[in-house]
Amino acid sequence: MDTCIKKIRELSAELLEKGEVQKVIGFAQGTIPMATSPIAIESKQDTEKLVFNSTCGLNLANYASKQKGKVAIIAKGCDSRNIVTHIVENQIQRDQIYIIGVPCTGMVDKSKIATLFEDEITGFTEDGNTLRVTSSSREEILKKQDYLRENCLYCTHKNPILYDVLATELVEEQMLEKPFPDVDRIEALDTDAKWQHFENLTKNCIRCYACRNACPLCYCPTCFVDEAGPQWVGKGQNKTDVNTFHYLRAFHCAGRCTDCGACVEACPMGINVRDFTRKLNKDALELFGWEAGLDITKRPPLDAYSPEDPDDFIK
Amino acid sequence: MADNDTKIVSFLCNWCSYGAADLAGVSRMEYPADIRVIRIPCTGRMSPKFILSAFREGADAVWVSG
Amino acid sequence: MGNLLEHMGIERDRLHFSWISSAEATKFVDVVKEISEKVRALGPNKKLVKDYN
Ligand code: SF4
Ligand code: SF4
Repeated sequence: MDTCIKKIRELSAELLEKGEVQKVIGFAQGTIPMATSPIAIESKQDTEKLVFNSTCGLNLANYASKQKGKVAIIAKGCDSRNIVTHIVENQIQRDQIYIIGVPCTGMVDKSKIATLFEDEITGFTEDGNTLRVTSSSREEILKKQDYLRENCLYCTHKNPILYDVLATELVEEQMLEKPFPDVDRIEALDTDAKWQHFENLTKNCIRCYACRNACPLCYCPTCFVDEAGPQWVGKGQNKTDVNTFHYLRAFHCAGRCTDCGACVEACPMGINVRDFTRKLNKDALELFGWEAGLDITKRPPLDAYSPEDPDDFIK
Repeated sequence: MADNDTKIVSFLCNWCSYGAADLAGVSRMEYPADIRVIRIPCTGRMSPKFILSAFREGADAVWVSG
Repeated sequence: MGNLLEHMGIERDRLHFSWISSAEATKFVDVVKEISEKVRALGPNKKLVKDYN
């Protein structure tokens, strides 16, 4: 990781110095251990603030659009796929963005690590596949592989799809026999059990919309949840409203979601909202042979008509 | 359930199914009275929001027809 | 949409799509009959209904 961040800083400094880009969007260390936050850097000195490690779970593509001038962006595999989606959806032009690709070895599940400790975590360092997590009372040495986020476990696009320069060597992609074991598990339930599963899932949702805000796909000027005439969904904690929000949010991601996990990372209530979008990702793959963000020349399946589109649901 | 309790919210395209419904009407054909017809200009006007809204307001089923 | 709703536990037969030309009054009647039979068999929908009280 050390060589990687050195390279990122070097590249960023060079780009800023030459004036090729106005800003570099990357990650900075947060105020507590295991936290990183997005940062936009405008001067060469500030590149020292940039970090990259296994806690950079947010998706920087979210900040790529609506920028003035040319920006450089640090992109993991999933970020790069969301940048591709942005380009396809005309949110940003290819020549407005300089992509520093970072082949990714997965991000860690912070809440899973936090459950190991009774007290607050005070330190976090990593070296390759070893994590060293300390709290005020003790220290744990963990294998990163065992504490990956679920979406990173199932990730088959660790390497950036689109980049101008790479910060480290490409990593090997995994091939999965069953790419959607989590979805299969839910599909096996009967109708009422499925309903119950999602009722339980969204039970604690506080409607903070952090999942929506963290998602690079959600860039509408006015979100449907904020529309008042007609009001598609009420504002309160009513169960049906909460569910409506989740269904529609998920449906808006159909054929576009890259399973980057930013939504889950952002949720303060620890809700795995990916349970909704994963099903759509599976359908997109099975019905349309589609995975989002792999090709800047192709329109997403729900955006284009093809005579081969499945239509057996129509009477 | 009494017969007239079922509510099927039906979004019918003005030019196709709505026309068919009209024709069925003038031909005095009989069909179950469970459907509540909403005429839309074209099925292209349809949106997932409409479907969810219908369910939220208590529809037993939704039918979209072009 | 149908797939997603089914995944979340709404019965598949609660959402129907069809394609009927304006001249096909008989097909219209047949489809209405078919759908209404299926929905009646399911009984009233309680999930996803907003309770305003
Ligand atoms: S829905 Fe979640 S996993 Fe999918 S692209 Fe948005 S933030 Fe990433
Ligand atoms: S981030 Fe979590 S709590 Fe907030 S709206 Fe999304 S699911 Fe609900």
